[in-house]
Amino acid sequence: MNVPLSWLKDYVDVDAPPEELARRLTFSGTEVAAIRTVGSSFDGIVVAEIVETAPHPDADDLLVCRVKDGRRVVRVVCGARNFAVGDKAPFAPAGCRLPGGRAIGATEIRGVESEGMLCAEDELGLSDDHSGLLLLPRETPAGAPLAEALGPPETVLDVEVTWNRPDCLSIIGIAREVAALFGGKVKLPSVVFREDGRPVEELAKVTLEDAQGCLRYTARVLWDVKQAPAPLWMRRRLSLCGARAINNIVDITNYVLIECGQPLHAFDYDLLADHHIIVRRARPGETMATLDGAPRCLTPDMTLIADPRKAVAVGGVMGGAGSGIRPATTRVLLEAATFDPLRLHRASLALALSTESSYRYERGVDVARVEWCSRRAAALMTELAGATAARGVIDAYPNPQAERAIRCRYGRVRALYGVETPDDRVVSILESLDLPVVSRDAESCVVLAPSFRPDLEIEADLIEEVVRVNGLDKAPTLTPSALVAPDASDAPAQALIRCRSNLVGLGLTEIMNYSFLPAELLDRFTPGETARRVALPNPVSADYAVMRDSLIPQMADTLGRNRFRQVEHAAFFETGRVFLRDDSGVIHEEERLALGLMGAPGRTALDARKPAQAQESFLWLKGILEQIARVQRVNDLAFAPFEHPALELGRTVAVIVGEAPAGVAGLLRASLGAEYRMNGPVAIAEMSLAPLLARAFGAPELKPVPAFPSVTRDVALVAPANLTNEAIARVIRRHAPPELTSVELFDIFSGEGIRKGYRSLAYSLVYCSAERTLTDEDASRYHAVVKNALTSELGVEIRDK
Amino acid sequence: MTSAEIARTRDEALAEIRVAETLRALEAVRVKYLGRKGLLPQIMKGLKDLPEQNRAAAGLEANELKSRVGEAIEQRGAELGAAGPAREPFDPTLPGLWHRPGAMHLISRVIEDVTRICARIGFTVADGPDVETKHNNFDALNTPERHPSLDPRDTFWLETGECLRTQTSPVQIRVMKSRPPPVRVITPGRCYRRDTTDATHGANFHQIEGLYVDRGVSLADLKGTMAYFARELMGPAVKVRFRPHFFPFTEPSVECDFSCHVCGGAGCRVCKSSGWIEIAGAGMVDPRVFEFVGYDPEEFTGYAWGFGVERVAMVKYGLGDIRVLYENDLRFLEQFA
Repeated sequence: MNVPLSWLKDYVDVDAPPEELARRLTFSGTEVAAIRTVGSSFDGIVVAEIVETAPHPDADDLLVCRVKDGRRVVRVVCGARNFAVGDKAPFAPAGCRLPGGRAIGATEIRGVESEGMLCAEDELGLSDDHSGLLLLPRETPAGAPLAEALGPPETVLDVEVTWNRPDCLSIIGIAREVAALFGGKVKLPSVVFREDGRPVEELAKVTLEDAQGCLRYTARVLWDVKQAPAPLWMRRRLSLCGARAINNIVDITNYVLIECGQPLHAFDYDLLADHHIIVRRARPGETMATLDGAPRCLTPDMTLIADPRKAVAVGGVMGGAGSGIRPATTRVLLEAATFDPLRLHRASLALALSTESSYRYERGVDVARVEWCSRRAAALMTELAGATAARGVIDAYPNPQAERAIRCRYGRVRALYGVETPDDRVVSILESLDLPVVSRDAESCVVLAPSFRPDLEIEADLIEEVVRVNGLDKAPTLTPSALVAPDASDAPAQALIRCRSNLVGLGLTEIMNYSFLPAELLDRFTPGETARRVALPNPVSADYAVMRDSLIPQMADTLGRNRFRQVEHAAFFETGRVFLRDDSGVIHEEERLALGLMGAPGRTALDARKPAQAQESFLWLKGILEQIARVQRVNDLAFAPFEHPALELGRTVAVIVGEAPAGVAGLLRASLGAEYRMNGPVAIAEMSLAPLLARAFGAPELKPVPAFPSVTRDVALVAPANLTNEAIARVIRRHAPPELTSVELFDIFSGEGIRKGYRSLAYSLVYCSAERTLTDEDASRYHAVVKNALTSELGVEIRDK
Repeated sequence: MTSAEIARTRDEALAEIRVAETLRALEAVRVKYLGRKGLLPQIMKGLKDLPEQNRAAAGLEANELKSRVGEAIEQRGAELGAAGPAREPFDPTLPGLWHRPGAMHLISRVIEDVTRICARIGFTVADGPDVETKHNNFDALNTPERHPSLDPRDTFWLETGECLRTQTSPVQIRVMKSRPPPVRVITPGRCYRRDTTDATHGANFHQIEGLYVDRGVSLADLKGTMAYFARELMGPAVKVRFRPHFFPFTEPSVECDFSCHVCGGAGCRVCKSSGWIEIAGAGMVDPRVFEFVGYDPEEFTGYAWGFGVERVAMVKYGLGDIRVLYENDLRFLEQFA
């Protein structure tokens, strides 16, 4: 909200410089985001009288004007239309500069010479209004410097008002804050005017049917209204606050809105059927056109202002198209009301219509001051628009709001604030904010919360008032001491931290993707899973339409994007949640880990150029899974053949922990890889994170370090190429004596000397006893058993040296 | 010849042996010490001039010296001989054999830093789901129905009536409902708001909040904790200041600025010349929140604070655009190794 200082000073005496004012406001909760100066010395720009206008001979949208600048009459070409002969407007003669720096010269505009420029507000740097010339009062002498007509530059505070303080959405509300901070009293404007017409009850009628939706409705009637531009000072103030001047009647309602925070609506009295206002709920299917011309579909939870024939406004949101002030209007029905904030908020949401009025109503407008604000507007209308006011006001206020008495205990203030605040100080701060303290005792005082402060409900709210006015900076800074809260374990979080650091230690780089992604991406990886997906009813865009049910698509996408950016080798991991819907529609979340490898991340500089092979990529991936399982103390990791729509058939395994499937690992389908222009294998795994975290802090199962030396024997065999390493190792383990402590594959060979379709595998077997030193004979005996088993069970050929 | 002199002779001899770069140089050292007219035979000869009672000990030392020098010459000779013309070429400037290091994501790094800093004063980590109930995300946090944060233009509401949490504060509700005070937790986690992605916003972001509930907690404790936290996270010279603000779930509510860690408060690009950077929201827990979770607001008070992880990451590491955090370009990520 913009607060022009000169306007503020109408209601409170304050001499502090703007910077000090801004600082004090900011540090008491009313943040001043900026201090702006509007206006300048307007060097060379004068007030000119328009003495003649004529159409431009060669351009329909331009006028050729003759203007008197005090010394002579000059010709000016002008694009605005909002003026008549005799009007006064700012004139920048050729040779001067506009406040923005633009030089004005004599030019020819479509064949007609123009010796300067008549100015709109934006050209003078006053606002961004370019709707027409800035019209000055007709009594301003032609030739007077513009600075004299407009007065000195204005200082405007740009104030950010928090949601809980609707009272500060007004100049008077800010003045109240300033008065509390700097001392002093708020001076309210005059609301005295002559009510010399007929009683209002004879002229209009108000029926308040929807008393839940509309808490209070007041109506005044004024006639003999003389429409004209509002006085310059009022137009200037509205302009400084970002409101556009329209005519004196509408401008007065806007002025009072900004001044007091009370939205008002001026109806054309003669457009209201029977001069009867009915405040009611909208009927099902009812429609109306609002001021902005848009047709609106209404629902019964909206409060309407209507006459017996038609709706004339969506209460508190926007007026209707056919009942507002028009050029012919001479009689006005002035509405000032309050509406239920929640109902109004819902109406504003449903209509997707937010106005200055609805913005204030949904935060809370002071119900007690409605009538006063109506009087303020009526006083201005009689003073500035020559209106005659009917006697009295129609005031439908069926359920007057009770004032809340709130007790504030001094001890509680000190306990929460941490500052020894004297009792009298507490009371004086509350009173300085216009919060009446109605009683006091030794421990506490009682405040009657005024209706302009809907945010004050409980003691803590009053304590906040004391704290923010007295100053947060006064609270001491206590050095924190540690606390051990019982029953507080964060082992899962700590296990994740350990797991992450272990993954980094294994050479993986962590990535992070959004939790939502385009449905199309999921379709490419896991088609047919759509029923289990969680789609967002109101996504920001199609790119973020569905919650991820797998980390694989984004992992592939990330690798692809890096590949596209000329990154050759990468080893990534991501931990994150996936979202799955079960058959009954309940959404489940699961923490997952994804791994992704491309290029030759496991190799070093000297052999990085050799292209990665499918087998090699897979084994890197598998190795990482095995290693992370090991350091996270998972000792029952296994793999089994598996299928996954995004992974290559026959090159994919299920990751199994204990007996339970925990995830999948494999090579990205070549067709998907091709979409990302991958030129080599891409290995991807995804598994549930829980099994990796469950035992992270468990003690290892210790085995004694061998006390006796071991004996190592190798065995090489030739086997069909489709006989797996695991099958061979399993036979070795099953038949070897307990003294076998490890089996390690150390060579694979095919080619020269080996039949086609076969390969040679060489294993190193270590035998060791816990009781004695094994002899050569022992080892030979054990080894013979193993070799026999291999030939008899698998039919492989043992290669002896 | 005293023991000290013998020791000095030994040190000198060993040093000369060590620096002998060729067999010839080594031979010269041998002659100097062990040769017929070398230093050691002279020492031996000098023994007989010593007083009777010292002679035996000095003899032992001299013999030991002789054998040490002899061994050293032999050993160095073997080294120089083996490293003769048959040595393999050796280039210490070849690239080292790397096990390429990985890197933690910057967001994880900030979360882990904060977790570690807070753990020192007894904060444990608490967690909750991303899909939250309206009750936990709004109602129990004293957020009225008409507060703009519930607006479907700002919050992702799901068909189930739940929402994607807009803050990690609902975890505070879960924690307080599950156990009695004292409570001291931080709640790092992912949050969602319907923001259009730009340089400083994303619809998906992370928050960390802290909550402390106990008897006698005051604003002074909150200030002290934030001051400690600012120093630990951003640097020892960083100060904090509070400005009153509004949040539905705290009363009083404050915004917490950190003095600029780059310019020290003098004003620079990072702090937009103000010397201060807005970092966190905080306040004393609203008694109405305590009522929702069944804590007695007369007996207990508490503070809560929270901030955006991405924002802190950007401020701390001088990033101009939040999107770089979710692009996952290896060349960016690996700089945090």
